[in-house]
Amino acid sequence: MTDQLGALTTIFTEFYYWVTVVLMFLIHVGFCMYEVGASRYKHHQHTLMKNTMLIPLVTVTWFFFGWWIYWAFPTGPGIAPSIMNESTALITDESTFSAKWYLANTEYMAINLGDHISGVFWAAFLLFSWTAASIVSGAIIERITTFAFGILAIAIGSVFWTIDAAWGWHFDGWMLKILGYHDAYASGVIHAIAGGFALGVLCVLGPRIGKFSSSGEPRNIGPRNPWLVTVGLFLIYTGFWGFYAACNIPIFDLGPEYGMEGVTYWTATNIYVTPTTLSGITFNFLMSLSGGLLAGYWIAKGDPFWTYSSGLAGVICASAGNDLYHPIQAMIIGMIGVVIAYKLHYWVERKFKIDDAVGAVAVHGYAGFVGLVICGFVLNGYPSSGYSVGAMWDGTTYATINPLGQFLGAIIMFGVLGMLPGYVIAKVLHGMGKLRIPRDVEIAGLDYEMMESAKKDERAVSSATR
Amino acid sequence: MATVTNWIDHLNKPAEEVAGAVYPGAGSMETTLVIIGIVLWLGWHVLTARSESEELSRLSRKRHGANDHKSNVTEW
Repeated sequence: MTDQLGALTTIFTEFYYWVTVVLMFLIHVGFCMYEVGASRYKHHQHTLMKNTMLIPLVTVTWFFFGWWIYWAFPTGPGIAPSIMNESTALITDESTFSAKWYLANTEYMAINLGDHISGVFWAAFLLFSWTAASIVSGAIIERITTFAFGILAIAIGSVFWTIDAAWGWHFDGWMLKILGYHDAYASGVIHAIAGGFALGVLCVLGPRIGKFSSSGEPRNIGPRNPWLVTVGLFLIYTGFWGFYAACNIPIFDLGPEYGMEGVTYWTATNIYVTPTTLSGITFNFLMSLSGGLLAGYWIAKGDPFWTYSSGLAGVICASAGNDLYHPIQAMIIGMIGVVIAYKLHYWVERKFKIDDAVGAVAVHGYAGFVGLVICGFVLNGYPSSGYSVGAMWDGTTYATINPLGQFLGAIIMFGVLGMLPGYVIAKVLHGMGKLRIPRDVEIAGLDYEMMESAKKDERAVSSATR
Repeated sequence: MATVTNWIDHLNKPAEEVAGAVYPGAGSMETTLVIIGIVLWLGWHVLTARSESEELSRLSRKRHGANDHKSNVTEW
């Protein structure tokens, strides 16, 4: 870098994404606290370690192949041609944003004085991957093996959410072109898919012992430590700020990007490279959070566990269109999402005997799905991309945002890339006898041996006088 | 292995040569490192799956009751 303004822009962008990564780390801290708070005493340590170990597992697989998938799969393959090379094949050629540059053994996946962005952008997406896996983690506590969870975490964190991001989040994604799909802050791309994946796993895994009475009535297994849950959810809110910022490009000249001769327009953009402002999305983040909290407090009759979760669900529901909504629209959408997610959670629990320990399927899956559908109506007619505007199903241009495209997109996210793979992989693990811990261990508690081995020392220490 | 042995010499090169990888073994070690990394990753799964299965079977055989863990709780 030899000119100062160019260097400042580059290093500002590098630092911007780096800060988002640090902020998003708090999402994982929050998820760990939340899960431990929701689990029973005899399962605490295993619950914590299960969620913690997804960090290295998803990170190394994201390095080996997850990041490559994101850059290779925008065309499907075989569904819509890339705007970079006009081919529907996997993007592995010499194009500027080809997956070729993001193979684990390329010089860009390391310290390179000519590349200030790849590492921080890779990390920002990696933190999204952790979030996707962590959403699944909460739903299945106290009865899944750590081995099975590791496999499932890699599947959702480094494979399936990456494919959906390539399809529906990448500027060249086929879902934007064919369906007019729009999901600026990941109602579907992260939340609906992870919620759907968790539901697929839960169908095979089954409920915790004691969750349902012999007549099938669900019993409430409330959080063991509400304060840990509370702080955990506050930290997730905090990390969510970083998540929103990470979904933007902080500074970009759209004139040359869109091929407009002589036009210069520096702005922040969303992930689709269409203009928005960090200031505007801050309105919407806070108003949708507030809508969620208001609706959650009302519908759950002041129950803190659901009220806090509803704040999150409110943001998740409005996230698809929070780059463009009016703040009051964001608030109302957040409220609608919470009411539907809450009602659906209890209906599914009662009807299908699904034991979602932390309400993750509802908060992320149902609220995300509903948010995508609502976005199709509220943003109907907006362009899904700045590069071109065309008809739905055409594929060579970008369709405008519309209700049908968003509904189909929600099904793809929640069902096709979420619930279906979750169910299939869980079935395979179940067939191998590796999915669920033995019944006697679940009753005794996963931490029994750890606690027993520490008992002698602990008793000696507690009665020691010198 | 060192890719850079003198920063003054390195930064005096043409810009396109300066802008490049600077880690040890740049241009020759990457594929080997990826293979080693994948072996370590897969090996970790094998080792931890085995030890988890052993731990679960051992605990399962003891058939503790739902409240037995309480006798292991010490008031500090």
